[in-house]
Amino acid sequence: MLKQDLSSPPKGFGGVFDFVLRQGSTGVIWLGAIFVTAWSMWLISDIVFNGWAGLSYDFLTHTPTNAGREGGIAPILVSTGLVLAICMAVSFPIGLGTAILLSEITATDSWWGGMIRRSLDVLAGVPSIVFGLFGNAFFCNILGLGFSILSGGLTLACMVLPILIRSTEEGFRAVPIAQKLGASALGLSRLSTLFYILLPIAVPGLIAGFVLGVGRAVAETAALIFTSGYVDRYPESWLDSGRVLSIHIYDLSMNIAGGEAHAYTSALVLLILVLLINQTASHIGLRYLRRGVT
Amino acid sequence: MKNSKRYLNLTIALLFVFFLPATSFAAELKGKLVLTGSSTIAPLAAEIGKRFESLHPRVRVDVQTGGSSRGVADARRGLADIGTVSRALKPNEQDLLSFTLAKDGVAIIVHQSNPIKKLSNQQIIAIYQGKIKNWKTVGGNNRPITVINKAEGHSTLELFLKYFGLKNSQIKPHVIIGDNEQGIKTVAGNPNAIGYVSIGSAEYSATHNIPIKLLPMKGVPASIKNVANGTFPLSRPLNLVTKVVPRGLAKEFIDYSLSNKVHDLIQRQYFVPINP
Repeated sequence: MLKQDLSSPPKGFGGVFDFVLRQGSTGVIWLGAIFVTAWSMWLISDIVFNGWAGLSYDFLTHTPTNAGREGGIAPILVSTGLVLAICMAVSFPIGLGTAILLSEITATDSWWGGMIRRSLDVLAGVPSIVFGLFGNAFFCNILGLGFSILSGGLTLACMVLPILIRSTEEGFRAVPIAQKLGASALGLSRLSTLFYILLPIAVPGLIAGFVLGVGRAVAETAALIFTSGYVDRYPESWLDSGRVLSIHIYDLSMNIAGGEAHAYTSALVLLILVLLINQTASHIGLRYLRRGVT
Repeated sequence: MKNSKRYLNLTIALLFVFFLPATSFAAELKGKLVLTGSSTIAPLAAEIGKRFESLHPRVRVDVQTGGSSRGVADARRGLADIGTVSRALKPNEQDLLSFTLAKDGVAIIVHQSNPIKKLSNQQIIAIYQGKIKNWKTVGGNNRPITVINKAEGHSTLELFLKYFGLKNSQIKPHVIIGDNEQGIKTVAGNPNAIGYVSIGSAEYSATHNIPIKLLPMKGVPASIKNVANGTFPLSRPLNLVTKVVPRGLAKEFIDYSLSNKVHDLIQRQYFVPINP
């Protein structure tokens, strides 16, 4: 009886109209969900289907030849890893610090905090090519780093900082006020509160920020083509130019006749790389979470 | 007499012993050479660079892209040792020195299913100006024409405009593309499209099951062969440009690039070698 009461349309509307509206909206929601899932499945299966055949140990361990149509992507993987490492090594501490400043030290409604937040939101919306041109002008030319892994990593760091800071800040905001009050009631210092109370709870936000940041960084082409560059040999130092995976894929698919097959395989490698990084990040995060709470 | 000759030989030998290490050290090329510019030339320049590096292990050749205009700008400002420019230098760029590495042709391409066999220059101009909007007008199917143009800064665009006496503002494009492969993919995916791309890439794609067709220009079939023998009208030089007379490493690299030792590399990138 109760069940029937819940499912019957409320009084006041025409029963049939309401029924159609309800069923219709359910249908639209399902359609949307199916469309999104099907679309991403199609995209992933297209890459896997076209790229799987070329994926081999040799592909991962050899240098590209004939403009990337033949050979492998070993130096490109090395450059990608280095650029990503610099980007994260620079942006993570700065991002964490700024997020702590924003959420724990400045008042929510302070002018200063508002200014930082607004400028971060503006930065987050800036197209990546603008970061690329800025990086080229500032790091490559003014600081004299030239086309280099270092320029690329630093440019990327500037680009992922807004995302990193905002999602880390959200993580800190998720900490219940009762916990902070409890910590001060117990006479814990600010630093101890941060390390033993805030950080463990904020870890999911941190991980989300890290994963989003890495995702944006590893997929970046426009910001890197003018900073870390196009050179596809093994980098010998931080100051060498090195081509990253996304630029390699872009060049093979858009500039090299007959580069399609290797473009697909490189895209597959990129896909696997992103999944691996995400999995590792959340794994480490979960372990830290468990350790912190107990 | 004989004795003095022996002394002379000894002196020469001693000179060699003392100076050879020094001279060979000076003659051994080392350092970094930076090339920036045309995205069309970049893969070829990178391949030549790799072969050059393998001959001179202490040399690094860094190739960057960004378009021919950037090649000119960087060579001028000294940001690059050599600029790469995939067109002839303009009158206001005559302060630079240019060295033609190879040639490339630009082909007008349509979808393979398009029944059009050829278009006159006037017809192409009218299509790109938006005056002819339907394939029916030029003897094709009753379908609207999708005009594909290249983005600013690409030398294919400049060559196309110059050849047909057009200004970019007169063109009414439906799609604007960047690199060659993007143009080929767009035409292959749209039976009503018309575009223009590098002949090398187009010929490769057309012979590798990509559904595109290269239209002849003034009756000359669009092919690498006809660019090589100079009969195909719509062609362009691939240039290395420098601000000053090249010396040292830059000179060695340019000399090597213009030699017949890189012909196989040029052909593998679907361009046409011209230097003997």
